[in-house]
Order: sequence, then C-alpha cells, then structure tokens
Amino acid sequence: MNDEHKKKVNKKYEEQLQKGERFWPDAIYKDLLVSFALFILLIGLATFVGVHQEPKVDPTDSSYIPRPEWYFLFLFEFLKYFPGELEWVGAAVIPGVLVAALMFLPLYDKNPYRHNSKRIFAVGLMSAIVSGIVTLTLMAATIMSDLVAVILGILVAALMFFSLYKEVPFLKGSIRKIVLWVMTIAILGIVGVSYQQTAAMASDEEEVHVASSIAEKMILGQDLYSIQCVECHGPDGEGGEIVGVDGIEDGTFVKSISSKDEMYTRNDGSLFDITAYGQPNLGMPPFGGAYGGELSPSEIEYIVTFMRYTWDDRAEVPAEAAASAIPTLAEGEVPSYEVHVSAVVKRQCLSCHREGKENNDYLMDTYAEILDGGINAPNVVAGDLDSILLQTIQGTELTGSDGEIIHVMPPNGKPIKDAYIDIFIRWVEAGMPETADEAAALSTEAMPAEEDAPVTEETPSE
Amino acid sequence: MFKKIYAWLDERLGFDDLYKGLLDRPEPHGNWWNTLGSASLFLFIMQGATGIFLTVYYTPSPDHAYDSIQYIMDGVAFGWLIRGIHHWGASLMVLVVFIHMLRTFFSASYKYPRELTWIVGSLLFLLTLGMGFTGYLLPFNQRAYWATVVATNIGGVVPGVGPFILRAMRGGTDVSALTLSRFFSAHIWMLPAALAALIGAHLYLIMRLGESAYPDADD
Repeated sequence: MNDEHKKKVNKKYEEQLQKGERFWPDAIYKDLLVSFALFILLIGLATFVGVHQEPKVDPTDSSYIPRPEWYFLFLFEFLKYFPGELEWVGAAVIPGVLVAALMFLPLYDKNPYRHNSKRIFAVGLMSAIVSGIVTLTLMAATIMSDLVAVILGILVAALMFFSLYKEVPFLKGSIRKIVLWVMTIAILGIVGVSYQQTAAMASDEEEVHVASSIAEKMILGQDLYSIQCVECHGPDGEGGEIVGVDGIEDGTFVKSISSKDEMYTRNDGSLFDITAYGQPNLGMPPFGGAYGGELSPSEIEYIVTFMRYTWDDRAEVPAEAAASAIPTLAEGEVPSYEVHVSAVVKRQCLSCHREGKENNDYLMDTYAEILDGGINAPNVVAGDLDSILLQTIQGTELTGSDGEIIHVMPPNGKPIKDAYIDIFIRWVEAGMPETADEAAALSTEAMPAEEDAPVTEETPSE
Repeated sequence: MFKKIYAWLDERLGFDDLYKGLLDRPEPHGNWWNTLGSASLFLFIMQGATGIFLTVYYTPSPDHAYDSIQYIMDGVAFGWLIRGIHHWGASLMVLVVFIHMLRTFFSASYKYPRELTWIVGSLLFLLTLGMGFTGYLLPFNQRAYWATVVATNIGGVVPGVGPFILRAMRGGTDVSALTLSRFFSAHIWMLPAALAALIGAHLYLIMRLGESAYPDADD
C-alpha cells in the first residue's frame, strides 16, 4: 500500500469525522441499550429456560453419545466427512489453515478497496463459509433434511449481507425492511420448529431422569433398591439368611443394614463405596458400573439417599417423600393393580421376578405377566383363593404342572407382611382390577358381598 | 462544596482530560451493528462477575464438582440465576463476538490503518472459544465428560504433536481429576487474564485509530 493511498484514506476519515457524531452521547446510548437488552435476555433465559440437568459422570457408560456445545457442533459435523485415516486433515489441517487465514487476513488482503462491489471474491467467500457453518450446525443440531439446512444456511448469509449493505439496487426503502423482517422471522421459525421436534424426539428416546429433590431421589432410590438389593437385604434392609439367590450360597447370613448401629457408623460416602465396590469377602458383589455392576454413580447416590432417609432416625424426611409409601386399604375398598399391587410387587417380588434371574420364567413387571406369566399359569384366577400366587405367599408349598415343587414365597422363610397379603387376597376376590377406576367401581358394587374378606390388620404380626 | 471536591479530585485525577479523551470523541455515523463490540465487552464483564460468584461454591474435584453445582442450583440463594446467566452468557458471548467479527469483515474495517485491531480481535475470538471449551467440562456431568473425551481425542489425531497435545490437555492419558484442574485453572486464570490484556490492547487501538466509517461506493 503506497503513501498516497494512505493519505487519501486518512483525509477521507477526517472528513467523515467532521460530519459524524460524538461517542458521548450519540453512540454510547445505543451501546448501553443493546447491552441492557442482552442483560434482560440473559435473565429471561436463566429464569424461564434454565440449565438442563445432566446425570453424574459415568466413565463406564461408553454408549453415551457425546455432544459438544452448540457452537462447536459444525466442527463435529464437518469431521464426519473425514473418516479414518483422513481425520487429521479435517481436525487439524483445515481448521488450522482457516484460523491462520482469518487471523492474518489484513496482511495478505492487498485489495485497497473497501466497498463490497470492489471485493466480490472476499465477500462471496466469507458468505459461503458462513452459510456452510450455519448449514453444518443445523444438520448436527436438528433432524431437518440436509436440503432445508443448506437453504437456511444460504438464507442466513443472505440476510446478513442484505442487512449490512443498504445500497443493493433491487432492495430499497420499505421493501428492503419488509424483506429482511420476513426472512428473519422465517429463519427463526423454521429453526425453532425443527429444534423443538428434535428435542421432542430425543426425549422420547433416551431421556435420563435426573432427580433434583431429596423426595425424587428417595423414590428413584427405592425403586432401584427393590430391584437390586431386596433379594439379599430384604425389603426393609433387615437382612437374615439368604435362600435361593443366584451366585450366593444358601444359608449365608446377612446382617441388618437398616439398624441404628449401621446408620450411625456409616456416612453416605461409605455406603456409596460399599454399594459400588461390593464386599467380596462377605459375598456382596460390586454394583458400580465401573466394577462390573449395573448401576451408574447417580443411581447409587439415589439408593444411598433412600437408605439414609428411610432408616436413619436422625434424617428429616421431606413431606412430599412420605407420600410414596404403599397406600393402606380402607374397609371395603378394593385394591387395584395400578395403585396397590404393583407397589407391593415392586418392593417385595420384583428383585427376583425380573429378567435375568432364576424364577421359573415368572416375571412380575406387568399386569399380564403377573396373571399369566411363567410355566404354571394361570397364577391367579378371579375369586379363587387357592390361586397359586395366594397360596405360595401364605406359606403353602404346591406342585406345579410339570411335577416340580413351587416354593413358598419369599423363599427365605420370612413371609411378607399380613397387610400386603391382604391386599393380594382382596384383589383376587374382586377379580383383579387393573386400574384404580375399575377397582373403585367394584368397591361400591361389591361392598355387601365382601363380609367374609379379612379386614386390614392394624398391627401386622410377624 | 460539591464543586470544590470535584475540582480537588480533577486536579489530581484529570476527569476533564478523561472526558475529552474517552467520551467526547468524534466518530463517523454508525448504526446498530456497531454496538456488538461493546456488547461483547459487557458480556465478558458479566461472565467475569458471575464466574467469580460461582467460584465461591464450586469445587474443581471429580468427587465434588457435580454436587457443588447441584448445591449452587438448589441450595444457594439466587445460585440458579447466577449459574443460568453464566451458562447462557457463554453461548451469547460466542455468538455476539462472532457476529461482531463478521461485521468487521463485511465492512472491511480491518484494512489500513486497523490491521492490528483485527489480529488482536481474532485472538479474542479464539480465546472466547477456548473459554467455552474449558468451561464445558467444569460441571463434570455425563455430557461434559464425554464431550471433553471426544474433543481432546480430536486434538490427539494431529500428526506428530498429536499425542503431546492430548497429554498436555488431559494431564495424562485419560480425562481425570488432573484434566479437571487444568481446565479449571485455564478457565478462571489463564484465559481470562489473556482475554483482559488483549481487550485492553483492542480498546487502546480503537481509541487511537477511531471507529471505522462505513465504506461508500468510492472506497
């Protein structure tokens, strides 16, 4: 660049300053206005959108699909075009060259002209790069088709171009303004709708529920405890002799884990560690994902929260958590699968009667499975108090259709509470209603006929 | 009385000179696109302020990072607001800085005499991305962890220096406690210090050279 040109530039700038404005107050009020608008926007986003909750780190869960922050998404998408051996070209060479080209732009851009009509190549190239970045981001972030993403990318670049340059010949005055606003609204609309659809689809697929309150953690923890722990530790952590558990010798004695001693001498950290690592010397297998178990760190935390708030008499249980216990029956009320039976089954039976356990293929996780699952179906017959399910939980040993013995349940010789047995009996008598509505309908009709049904005992004897 | 105090202070601090030098400057007619630079500065200050508040409760260790953020969200008064602003402010800052850069490019403001302003500005853009990258790991949740594993892996594919970059970023072969403390240190000390210094240089250059005028057909 020669001195003559520099002089010309400086002289022109002086002239523009003469007919320009003052920084204070002309320009700064716009600055402050925009900054204030951003401030309001931030508070709005923090208040009404918030920060998405994610589960704790689980380094063993390699099925997790990593997603970078949205402004790096285009790079991720870009890398997909450079598989295998070529990855370093897409990861290092091209971004490196682009960054260097961006940074040293003023040093090699020798074109002295500034108006867009005289730097068509530079403006065109940058517009192409911007629309490429927008396209790749949209392709990675939403489920919209590639074609739509490309069109939107071009639209965004065009919008930017037209709003920066006022003297485009075919776009003038109010028409220009209308076109720009229509473009802006259209782009935001399409991106918004497709993002919404993507988010809805993602939540259908694999949304991991992250508990935030203690009550939520307790509920999730109790569900996990019922499945993972009840087999050996019992529904109330009372322990006792183990009978019929895969991989553990019958007769192994498990001490109570819900005693005051236990709760007062172990803090949450040590309960967490024991659950994660197991106690190999005592026969307890590890449950943490990193050590071969099924549980993620968040899940173990929920179990620990459940144990602490249920068994430790020093813990103050939040009011909303107390409501999650198994509902008691009023006199003459008919229990339903939905409300009562599934809750008891979850706490007392599901630990063994689920996929992957030794249970004669009798799974209890759905209504239909409870009625007709396994090899001895039907397990319950409406009104039949000799149904297999009712007999086994009341301590009667039966012989199955294949001649094998059907054991008393639960197998460790500690019968389930009478109040729970009563729920099953009344449920069978009433014809096994599935939903709460069905049960309510039966309650009113069947009330007089239910005289011989045992009433709920106030203090279940054990 | 007030006038006297002002005169005393002005004699020593030079308010009038400051006013002339900083505020009462002439500049060419601008438009709304010109506000994005100061908006970037505003967002930087917001991120700094909320970030400082977050360090009061945040613990950069793998055992406690997640729980400390949970506590900020649930236990600390207005913790959710501070974290929400910091979280969204990061996204917004990247966006605003990027559009500010595009504006500068399209109005060709980087040409003589403002070449250095552009170079410093592009460094600021890269540092802003670096802040986003290092800050992403700090909540130490699944998303943060796996994104960092993948992103640092990408650094590792560079031929020759790749393995070195990978180990330098992770502080070992895996994403671990060391990675977290490295990212934390970079996020709250190294990158902000570099950002602040370069912002100073950027502002000095702007004040020395003046805001650029929009080019007309003759430029």
